[in-house]
Amino acid sequence: MRNVSKVVGTAAERYVALDGIDLQDAEGEFVCLLGPSGCGKSTLLNILAGFDQASAGDVQFEGAPVRGAGKDRVMFFQDAGAALLPWLSAEENVRFALRVRKLPKAQWPAIIDKYLAMVDLAEHRHKFPAQLSGGMRQRLQIARALAVEPKVLLMDEPFGALDALTRRRMHGFLLDIWQRTGKTIVFVTHDIAEAVTLADRICVMSVGPGSRIVEVVRVELPRPRDPADAGAGRIFKQVETLLEAA
Amino acid sequence: MPEGRARTLLLFAGSIVVAFALWQFLSTVVFNPFLIPPPLVVFETMLPMVRSGEIFRHVAISLARVGVGFVTGCAAAIVLGVILGRIKLVNELLDPIIELLRYLSPTAMIPIAVIWFGIGETSKYFLIFWGTFFIVLVNTTAGVMRAPVIRQRAAECLGASPLQIFLLVVIPSAAPYIVTGMRIAMASSFMSIIPAEILAADSGIGFLLQQSSILLQTNRIFVALLTICVLGFVFDRLFRIAVDRMLSRYMSYIALT
Repeated sequence: MRNVSKVVGTAAERYVALDGIDLQDAEGEFVCLLGPSGCGKSTLLNILAGFDQASAGDVQFEGAPVRGAGKDRVMFFQDAGAALLPWLSAEENVRFALRVRKLPKAQWPAIIDKYLAMVDLAEHRHKFPAQLSGGMRQRLQIARALAVEPKVLLMDEPFGALDALTRRRMHGFLLDIWQRTGKTIVFVTHDIAEAVTLADRICVMSVGPGSRIVEVVRVELPRPRDPADAGAGRIFKQVETLLEAA
Repeated sequence: MPEGRARTLLLFAGSIVVAFALWQFLSTVVFNPFLIPPPLVVFETMLPMVRSGEIFRHVAISLARVGVGFVTGCAAAIVLGVILGRIKLVNELLDPIIELLRYLSPTAMIPIAVIWFGIGETSKYFLIFWGTFFIVLVNTTAGVMRAPVIRQRAAECLGASPLQIFLLVVIPSAAPYIVTGMRIAMASSFMSIIPAEILAADSGIGFLLQQSSILLQTNRIFVALLTICVLGFVFDRLFRIAVDRMLSRYMSYIALT
């Protein structure tokens, strides 16, 4: 475990958006940042990605300070339509990732096939993002992210815009891929049930400004989890109480 | 959709027929054939001009002027527009100047262009360049500035270098804006070449208009006017076809997303 991320305080526009956030993230772990809207979850994720800088404190990844974005930490956006390149087909979007990763061209076809197959998009490879459904676009974004073989996936409410059914499917899908690839995932959400379904650890954040991580809840339930299950229900209640108090 | 297409063509042809009928009506009933020569007279006037090649000489020279001015104007505007869209300081420095200068239409610049460049080709190139430049510049800058941040960040964390983000993400994102600007600028070029040639030229369609006006040859004026309509229309269509052929994948998603 050499995967340390730590942010201490960032002041944006003269108010403290995040105050004294401490977060250590273990390799291969699924961590959820859970909090109400406007509590700075996305800000925190942007700092982890390297898009934003912490105004104080330090952010480290594998012992080295984070400076700028890097392909070891790939950000995954809610608006897949905006994040993907709309003028490239599904296949070409993955190829774009390989191109910027500077892999020898000979290896491209195999990698493209592998990840498109992993996200069940092999038969839609020639379609453009606009021709894909919301869930398919998210899967394509996952394939593209995995193609650069990151160590960490940073996900910013990735399934927030999907309908409930597609969302459930995406959860199963993401967990499956997570278990198969062993990536570390930092997942931002405001949905308690989503956090309980997915995470190893839930970091409950308080209302901003000056929000903190009030508590870290471990979820040690076997997967796949059912939110209606008694164990999951208890954790749901626990997290809900924490959020209300925060 | 052959049916929809046939319908469009039919309506287009119908519209032209109505226009000619109205033209004939205005010419013979409302006004008189000297003020508005009827369609047939105009075609009779046009025929010898076509046979002798006179009309083509004027068209060719006007097209060359539009071509040179338009291409150089686009090139310069795209380069500067990209810089303005990308480097905030340069934008803040130049934006006020551009916002003021862009209200000087090519027509307004004719008097000074004649003094600077004479009535030769250079003044016409300059005037078309001038008109094209500001339209394409404003559109390019807007397009580059509006390249979605999420798209750039997504590319950045995949490992794209700043140059790759610029070339493979920002420029394609701006393409629809640039192309739209070019299309508007082309239409405006066809409009501005006429006053430029009326006031300061010894050839071209504008000159043909001016010369025919002095000699009170209304039928020749109508030949020139009709030529301008057809030229503008044809070149706009050609431009659209070229864009569809080469850039459709950058253009179509706008309607889809």
